[in-house]
Amino acid sequence: MTDATTPADAPVSTMEFHPQPRGGAPKPWAFPAPERSRLANGLTLLTSHRPGQQVVAVEVNLVAPLETEPEGLDGVATIMARALSEGTDKHTAEEFAAELERCGATLDAHADHPGVRVSLEVPASRLPRALGLLADALRAPAFPDSEIERLVGNRLDEIPHELANPARRAAMALSKELFPATSRMSRPRQGTEETVARIDAAAVRAFYDAHVRPATGTAVIVGDFTGVDLDAALADTLGAWTGSTAEPPKPTAVVADDAGRVVIVDRPGAVQTQLLIGRVGADRHDQVWPAQVLGTYCLGGTLTSRLDRVLREEKGYTYGVRAFGQVLRSSAPSSPEGATGAALLAISGSVDTASTGPALQDLWTVLRTLAAEGLTDAERDVAVQNLVGVAPLKYETAAAVAGTLADQVEQQLPDDYQAQLYARLAKTGTVEATAAVVSAFPVDRLVTVLVGDAAQIAEPVKALGIGEVTVVSG
Amino acid sequence: MPMGHTATEQAGSGGLTATEHRLANGLRVVLSEDHLTPVAAVCLWYDVGSRHEVKGRTGLAHLFEHLMFQGSAQVKGNGHFELVQGAGGSLNGTTSFERTNYFETMPAHELELALWLEADRMGSLLVALDDESLENQRDVVKNERRQRYDNVPYGTAFEKLTAMSYPEGHPYHHTPIGSMADLDAASLEDARAFFRTYYAPNNAVLSIVGDIDPEQTLAWVEKYFGSIPSHDGKQPPRDGGLPDTIGDQIRTVVAEDVPSRALMAAYRLPHDGTREADAADLALTILGGGESSRLYNRLVRRDRSAVAAGFGLLRLAGAPSLGWLDVKASGGVEVPAIEAAVDEELARFAEEGPTPEEMERAQAQLEREWLDRLATVSGRADELCRFAVLFGDPQLALTAVQRVLAISPLEVQTIAKARLRPDNRAVLVYEPTAQTDAAGTEEEEAAK
Repeated sequence: MTDATTPADAPVSTMEFHPQPRGGAPKPWAFPAPERSRLANGLTLLTSHRPGQQVVAVEVNLVAPLETEPEGLDGVATIMARALSEGTDKHTAEEFAAELERCGATLDAHADHPGVRVSLEVPASRLPRALGLLADALRAPAFPDSEIERLVGNRLDEIPHELANPARRAAMALSKELFPATSRMSRPRQGTEETVARIDAAAVRAFYDAHVRPATGTAVIVGDFTGVDLDAALADTLGAWTGSTAEPPKPTAVVADDAGRVVIVDRPGAVQTQLLIGRVGADRHDQVWPAQVLGTYCLGGTLTSRLDRVLREEKGYTYGVRAFGQVLRSSAPSSPEGATGAALLAISGSVDTASTGPALQDLWTVLRTLAAEGLTDAERDVAVQNLVGVAPLKYETAAAVAGTLADQVEQQLPDDYQAQLYARLAKTGTVEATAAVVSAFPVDRLVTVLVGDAAQIAEPVKALGIGEVTVVSG
Repeated sequence: MPMGHTATEQAGSGGLTATEHRLANGLRVVLSEDHLTPVAAVCLWYDVGSRHEVKGRTGLAHLFEHLMFQGSAQVKGNGHFELVQGAGGSLNGTTSFERTNYFETMPAHELELALWLEADRMGSLLVALDDESLENQRDVVKNERRQRYDNVPYGTAFEKLTAMSYPEGHPYHHTPIGSMADLDAASLEDARAFFRTYYAPNNAVLSIVGDIDPEQTLAWVEKYFGSIPSHDGKQPPRDGGLPDTIGDQIRTVVAEDVPSRALMAAYRLPHDGTREADAADLALTILGGGESSRLYNRLVRRDRSAVAAGFGLLRLAGAPSLGWLDVKASGGVEVPAIEAAVDEELARFAEEGPTPEEMERAQAQLEREWLDRLATVSGRADELCRFAVLFGDPQLALTAVQRVLAISPLEVQTIAKARLRPDNRAVLVYEPTAQTDAAGTEEEEAAK
């Protein structure tokens, strides 16, 4: 810190100063342990009563992974997920939307690599009615030709908007680089113009018949259940869903090519360069996960982490750069196919065009310094205090708790995983965190995607020696 | 320290209560207890926003907000962030037209730290403020502007429509992010003068919500904030009053490299804090909120002329609020076809008014949005500050949903008839310059 000489007109504060207070004794808090049960139709239930949370969150996991989409029909899982709420055996699409909103509810469904997730949020007083609509959507979707045709058209209209968004364009280019062309992960989750255009009601119905059934599904329900007869409500709604039993599909192992290289997606005239630098690494089933979380936080979890300390707070190159690990798909080591999962480990942010070369140079210097010198104990301590300490804040709402419980189910983790993770983080030392983050972000095994003005950034980036540079059109 | 309202529950407040207090230096304090989770939120609203900025210094309130995180007498450099995060808390600050807010959510046992930190910068920021942090944060804010507005399709639509909706010289004519030229022009002396003018205990409201002991909390507030001197340098913002309606359509067509045609509009609506604003909120929800709204059903479902269509309400207390229409066209559809359909739906609604089912749905949606905002201690703290700063009474936050539920269908129809008219809006039309080809037809979820 500079000790600037005080100008003559500097204000003299007249307030009374006190020493920095020390915190009191922490109050006990634990990540909620859900109750696990099963309906007669085979649907697994996880419930958690959270007093005071008037908006109840429901998350339904359907084991319908993207890699089970038929060849050439990428996007059919997405269209099916959206079509669940476009009419049932009781309501037309417009009536269904109106009934949901009459409950004050929101219903979202999306398809990702592990499967389809349907999320309902509704005030507790109207939970039974909304559960009825959710059950109708899962149990008896109508998939009318005209609605599927409309959803396909709508999806085709969305694609140019996604392509124009620098962050989404970067994520798309990174997936294409990292994964082999034969892997579903190399291709856009919601399909391309070519594949989406082929989807019709028959394809959606076939995908539904193949993958959507209560026996392989899980519903997570979290909120304040005071005055709600949850058992009765569930029996009347999700309990009425029927379907055959079937083995869930077997996932294939995730493989990726992380040889260091650079792809520039050309955006002539762009005032900023969007960066996405990544590779594939350990998921939550790996012992290293807590140390990887800790080390990644120290590298780029917040604006006082190593990357932003230089790139933002010293140089002003960016509004913020973050490092993160995001599980792509996961299966338990004890499952028949063994551990097949992986997480995307990445650094993302945007820097002004002129600073692209210098910012990447500084970023690599941060990584090299980290590998050479390791984390400090003080950094490790602050990171643990933050990651463990924020848990009660992070899980204040029903939606946050339900989301994490559903992620655990989707990744075949035990119900107490998150609760145990906090204990494991607290036990992770500086040396382990350093080793984990250095092996998560090796300087010569990172694929760099830059969405920006190639005419201005290609030469400075080539000079950095961080890998061969390829330019593709935007 | 005089005690304000006692903590008695009001009808329709969902069991929430709040008490009000005022320090001798003018700092207003609002407390609300909730012991369900061991967390406490601290929220501090300064009654200053971009509407207080002067010509040539747009963006100063927001740039200044960044400087508030660069250290004060007892907090070095990034210490504010480091200490809060190291205590297991989360924090940030934001700047809007009408206010600047700073907030921390802490594990309950670390509440005192957040109060100490906020008091330190309220009382002694200028001791630490120097050129180095100004130059650095100027670059950070310029990159924030590029990232959020200049490098995104339609990113400057909000700025353009705001400038069209409020005339040149009006305090709301420019948005909080400011212009690049003005950000470049801001000096250290501007920042110092801004602090001396607006950052004073008598120009702020502090709310503390969650698992707190009210007596202990008030004692800490008195200890840390009580000796900060008040001052009266602040001039009231320029008058934001305008006639109820614009009287003529204002229209701009821009040709930009955007992925599809778009029709956006801002309608002039009543000031926040009035029954008419709540009626307008219901009208916009029925017309353009969610997937059972009239515009969604017409444009997205039936005509299939839009990929997305919706209305939003930007509530403003010191100037007319704005009703925000955003329609992104489907491939090949021309704007006049969309505009004709929008006008037809708005005219029909003004003529017929809402159906009972539409009223029920809109009120249920707005009620859930309120429950969501009140579901966290930080959301509650922010709403208490909002009603205290903008309307002089934090208790109004606890009954806001009741006021929305009390609006009649006739009030909704009346406001639609009076305000949702073509001659009461600014219209912004986007025409794409380049035909986007299908070369890279891929998409992916943005990695987070």
